[in-house]
Amino acid sequence: MRPRPRLIPTTLAVVLGAVAALSAGACSSSQGSQELVRVPADAATITDAVERVAPGGTVLVAAGTYPEQVLLSTTDVTIRGEDRNATVITGEGKRPYGIVATADGARIENLTVRETTFYGVLVTGLHDENGPSAHNGDGYTRLDPDKFPPVRRFSIDHVTAANNGLYGIYAFDAHDGVIQDSYASGSADSGFYVGQCRQCGILVTGNVAERNAVGFENANASDSVMIAGNRFSGNRVGMTLISNYQEAFTPQRANTVVGNLLADNAEPDSPAQASGSFGLGLGISGGIENALTRNRISGNPVAGVQLANTEDLAAASNAFTGNAFEGNGVDLANTSATRAPAAGNCADGTPTTSPADLLAPCPGTAAQPAAPLEGTSVPRGTSFLRVASPVAQPDMGAWTGQAAPLPARVTMPDPAGFPVPPADFLAAMSGTA
Amino acid sequence: MSPELSRRSLLLGGGALVAGATLAAAGAAAAIDQATPEPTGRRLSAAGRTQAGVARPATPQRNALHAVFAVPDTSRLQRDLAALGSAILALLDGPSQTPNPTLPDGPGDLTVHVGLGPRPLRAIDPSLPGATPMPSFARDDAIAADRRDGDLLVALASSDAGALRPALDHLLQAVPTLVPLWAEHGFRAAGEGTVARNPLGYLDGIIVPEGQDELDENVWITSGPLAGATVCVLRRLRLDRRAFTALDVPARDGVIGRHADGRPLSGGGPRTQVDLQAKTPEGEYLVPARAHARAAHPSFTGSALMLRRGYAFDRGPDPTSGVDDAGLLFVCFARDLDAFVRTQLRLDEVDDLMTYATATASGSFLVLPGFSRTRPLGSPLFT
Ligand code: HEM
Repeated sequence: MRPRPRLIPTTLAVVLGAVAALSAGACSSSQGSQELVRVPADAATITDAVERVAPGGTVLVAAGTYPEQVLLSTTDVTIRGEDRNATVITGEGKRPYGIVATADGARIENLTVRETTFYGVLVTGLHDENGPSAHNGDGYTRLDPDKFPPVRRFSIDHVTAANNGLYGIYAFDAHDGVIQDSYASGSADSGFYVGQCRQCGILVTGNVAERNAVGFENANASDSVMIAGNRFSGNRVGMTLISNYQEAFTPQRANTVVGNLLADNAEPDSPAQASGSFGLGLGISGGIENALTRNRISGNPVAGVQLANTEDLAAASNAFTGNAFEGNGVDLANTSATRAPAAGNCADGTPTTSPADLLAPCPGTAAQPAAPLEGTSVPRGTSFLRVASPVAQPDMGAWTGQAAPLPARVTMPDPAGFPVPPADFLAAMSGTA
Repeated sequence: MSPELSRRSLLLGGGALVAGATLAAAGAAAAIDQATPEPTGRRLSAAGRTQAGVARPATPQRNALHAVFAVPDTSRLQRDLAALGSAILALLDGPSQTPNPTLPDGPGDLTVHVGLGPRPLRAIDPSLPGATPMPSFARDDAIAADRRDGDLLVALASSDAGALRPALDHLLQAVPTLVPLWAEHGFRAAGEGTVARNPLGYLDGIIVPEGQDELDENVWITSGPLAGATVCVLRRLRLDRRAFTALDVPARDGVIGRHADGRPLSGGGPRTQVDLQAKTPEGEYLVPARAHARAAHPSFTGSALMLRRGYAFDRGPDPTSGVDDAGLLFVCFARDLDAFVRTQLRLDEVDDLMTYATATASGSFLVLPGFSRTRPLGSPLFT
């Protein structure tokens, strides 16, 4: 197998056929009037319930398996499972998605989404009346972000996404939201994905991603994105920050990545990372000005961190401070091509680097030397449908009534509140059933 | 991607829809030129908003001669271009009854277009498209200096291979100061539209801009004095056919990203676009990570989709190395030089096909806007 740990950005494909498949069931644009719709007591399916619920209302879903895909287009609606582990939406390995929210103020919580061919839960402003539309046309026309203003205010909380064909939990062209205390495994692209936004106002915290091709991926999501206190361990690649010309808003910049555990990302029980990456904690491809602070980055056999270019976009001015590096093939590596050399990436402490003279102290500006990385043998991918299932995940408990609409802005936590996590951080949520 | 709904079949599909679109385009203000298919061999007008031989005829003639020159004296350029343009019009658009000693059988579908390289463009105005030479790509150091970045391109194409050299020699009488650098006679396999089998045996020219709107969006400069111009890149690529055909067929398909009959490895018919996202359940791309069709896909570089109309060449064994000097004269057109440059830089990094290609000549040219008896060739550059 060719060991080329170059990061090639991947994006979702929303196949037009998928939209056509969906539209048969979701073309009604009428809004319901019920404050609370219980499934299956008041409505046989979640899709029916979503049609009946009033803006600001709640769909409460009892334990059970729901073979459907749900399009949520009513404002300020909560879809909540009564039992996170037993309220299961399944794509049965044939439907593209579980829940897609295209309305502002969506709350999706305390349920499981499994076995979709594309994504478990998607929040996106990029859609037409029938559902999500191809975010990038067919790749030959430029996306006009003004035509698709971002969806705003969302919360994905205590959601389990397992064995999904592209992404587990996914926010694209979405602003001012939270993805927290959720779990993703067995995704053939990434467990979590935040993409295409500026001044995003997005918080990703308390999540676990394992046995995915990539644990968490950010493509072109910039400025106010905070990724704090997550466990992205035991994937092929722990996390990536990527600039990608296939979507709007290059380059990716200025995320706060603090207090995460990126460990042992060399998991064979996971789908292949399609460009062959393996054994990598964090990949930054054409990303700039990210602050990576107090993360534990350990046991990644190829590299703890890899810097690379995206075409002509350099990985630049990323600052690593207070991170705990340990037991990586090399702690920090730069494989950028000469046409877009990495520059000004700096680190404190004494991480090992490739090449040896890679780093300058923070803050830095100088262009940096690069060297190819030693590859490793890459195990074959496991089918996303066959990756082992997660252990039971913590439940939010009984529903206590409709919460107030989500606020216009997420209150970001103080990064100082996230120390270097211990090696067993969030370990209780990790493992296989 | 569902083949029924791909862009290609939307364009090629319902006859009524396509006809409607063509009618609409004919009236559009931004429309630069018509690209309706012409029957092979039919005479084409040299005059027009754009030069002939770029997008018209829609099916490239089977033979071409690309001739590249040095321009020793750029101060004469305006006069030289005008003289060359007049000679082209006289040769091709003259009354058909007049006896024509250069082309005794008449011009047929002969087309000629003219482009300027970086050096003369810089001399006129360094901000012109194509005025900056291309960077050196991987292994370009091996290209002889006089086969890189020539000053002027005269590209002739015809169904009749025998018409090319006489026509070129005749036209050169109008511009005696040009110094020949290199020229290549090229031939195309039988094909339809831009699609024809290339020297590696694969259908090539499938994904290109088609129809008025796509050409205006990707190929033509549509506004300002240079409206109707385009940027052409020539790369004479010697291909190691022997090494390529030593691969088994699935491995060859993996290098290209399509089967020899054009079907993408991601499924669909011979004209379907590749689906870059399609994966096996195990997470491997169906169109491999280092396949040419993935590497060259314009979405990764955010570039225009180039119009590719390449020609095969074959000059037998190289006298010094004994290696077959045969391959593809890659010819593309796009509204800016960046489309090619960004793509080639990417191919150098991620394309397995480049292992089999060695560039032996290279150049970029601003193909000038169309001309006529009242609008001399090159005149928009000097206003
Ligand atoms: C080494 C010689 C080359 C050969 C034999 C070759 C062959 C092919 C083939 C068989 C295809 C797929 C069919 C099609 O879409 O036409 C293709 C696609 C393409 N090639 Fe090449 N090619 C070569 C060099 C290049 C170069 C140098 C470039 C530009 C830098 C290029 C740009 C493209 C583009 C843009 C596509 C369409 C990709 C898409 O959108 O699907 N090719 N080529």
